[in-house]
Amino acid sequence: MPALTVSGLNKSYGSFAVINDLNLQIERGSVHGLVGLNGSGKTTTIECILGLQAFNSGTVSVLGFAPERLHLAKGKLVAIFDSPSLHPNLTVRQTLEHAMLLCETPKRTATEVEEMLGISRFSKFKTKHLSLGNKRRTSIAQALLGQPELIVLDEPFNGLDAEGVDDVLELITSLNREQETAFLLSSHQLPYLEQICTHIAILNQGKIALNDSIANLLEKTGNSIQLKTEQLDAATAVLENLSGVQLLNVDDKGYMNIAVEGMDSASLNQSLVENDVLVSELILKRASLATLFREISSEGSP
Amino acid sequence: MNGLLVAIKAELFIAMRTFASKLIVLAPALIAAVQLFIVKLGETGQQARNNLLGASEFDRAIGSNAYGFFVDGLSTGLTILGLLIVAQAAYSFSYERDIGSIRHLFIRRVSRSSSITAKLIHLHLLAIISVLLLLAVSYFLSGILWEYDAIVEDGFELISEQEIQNEIKLGLHLALLPIPAAIGFGLLVSVSAQSATQAVTTALGITLAIDIFKGLLGDFSNYIYASFQPSLIDQSYLQAVSRIVRGYSDVLIDDRVLQLNMWVPLPALLLFFTAALWIVQRRKI
Repeated sequence: MPALTVSGLNKSYGSFAVINDLNLQIERGSVHGLVGLNGSGKTTTIECILGLQAFNSGTVSVLGFAPERLHLAKGKLVAIFDSPSLHPNLTVRQTLEHAMLLCETPKRTATEVEEMLGISRFSKFKTKHLSLGNKRRTSIAQALLGQPELIVLDEPFNGLDAEGVDDVLELITSLNREQETAFLLSSHQLPYLEQICTHIAILNQGKIALNDSIANLLEKTGNSIQLKTEQLDAATAVLENLSGVQLLNVDDKGYMNIAVEGMDSASLNQSLVENDVLVSELILKRASLATLFREISSEGSP
Repeated sequence: MNGLLVAIKAELFIAMRTFASKLIVLAPALIAAVQLFIVKLGETGQQARNNLLGASEFDRAIGSNAYGFFVDGLSTGLTILGLLIVAQAAYSFSYERDIGSIRHLFIRRVSRSSSITAKLIHLHLLAIISVLLLLAVSYFLSGILWEYDAIVEDGFELISEQEIQNEIKLGLHLALLPIPAAIGFGLLVSVSAQSATQAVTTALGITLAIDIFKGLLGDFSNYIYASFQPSLIDQSYLQAVSRIVRGYSDVLIDDRVLQLNMWVPLPALLLFFTAALWIVQRRKI
């Protein structure tokens, strides 16, 4: 049974459709990233999945439970939200002890998770006195007390410093590897998602525009090269005769953007030089999630 | 352990570590104590003045019975408790929704209905502890500052101590009955409001508005639970008890009003609680 199945999910506010026939499946043990522009429906999707708001139609099954009955999962599902959602008058330790009450079988002690997230020295601090980064660490610490099978994280990297981001990435990787915990991560931080996700779903205007494994997605997105030369016409003629090379455009700064498939930057440079075209700058742009995301987002934008 | 027990434990965990719950438990007793001290201080001054002027001691014999002050202390404390508990009930859910902590409960272990039920139980526990403390403080302080006695006039016992105690018991019983309905009302406002600030101001505003307008509503006010609560403009039976135990014979009590006092608050609680459950199941968290 998949960790999460969403079929034909629709949600609208009045006549404005926020989510439009959304389908998504997250397998157990996978790390699934959910990306999209602001207002693309990420948070609404997560809130519908978690039963925090009703949806118009469709079905959602989280670990076999409907969203309105998630409490019956008894802690197998944990969510960490964009805002830390902590009681401001409790200390870090009290917050964790409170979260412990919600775990049917706690797997770690409060001390252990404090150490894991580097918040031991703030143990007696009220959460209202913590920085945003440490509030987020405390929020994540709550999730680690039990043994969740699915963790939903909405913007988990917001407010974290570089060390904090590394800690969270490491935690996600180790939990996923050692306990096969599935993750659904919603974030704008595409380079981080690229590091840890096994799958990515790109949400555009309330629809899943693309949903595949990272490897497959990057394969679909070829590398590109950006080069600058004074001999634009000559260079264009050379490029037209090369196979696996396509001139995409010349930007207003005079850079030629070239899509390449099966050719490396050195070979391209060599071909140009052999045809007496002098290249003043050459930049290889590797296929990345960011490139793909920008392509998808620009396709859907009005 | 089922969700309701988890929810109650989670509620109590926070209650024991936050100021609001302590305020509800302590404030009514503390304010009643302050009131009794101030009255005693004023009375001592008046007595000194009378002694100097050689005035009659007749009124003092009746007016200084500790039972009257005990009831006054209860009346003041319950007025404060009524306002605090409705505010806290209104604050409880809406605040946790504002900060987002209620989401964790719903996702991990607790159903929405269990959460509201746990809050209802928790607020009742707070009210019970607060009333017990108020009773103890008012009783012992009144006994220390004055003397408990029957009402005696010209050597004749007008009202025995047993009769006084029975009246106080009835007055207290009738004054306590609206408190669960006040909690239910606060919870209903809490789940309906958009924010904690809105919830508290609405709940207190409506409670005070009922207090102001109940005089204008005439007989209709007897169908509103809040009319029977000790309040700033007090029409509760406890207010009449305060006069009865001081030996005033002009207290008129309508038996129908007592019956309504007995039977209106419970259905009000059920109505508010059912509506709160219905709304909380449907609203965005």
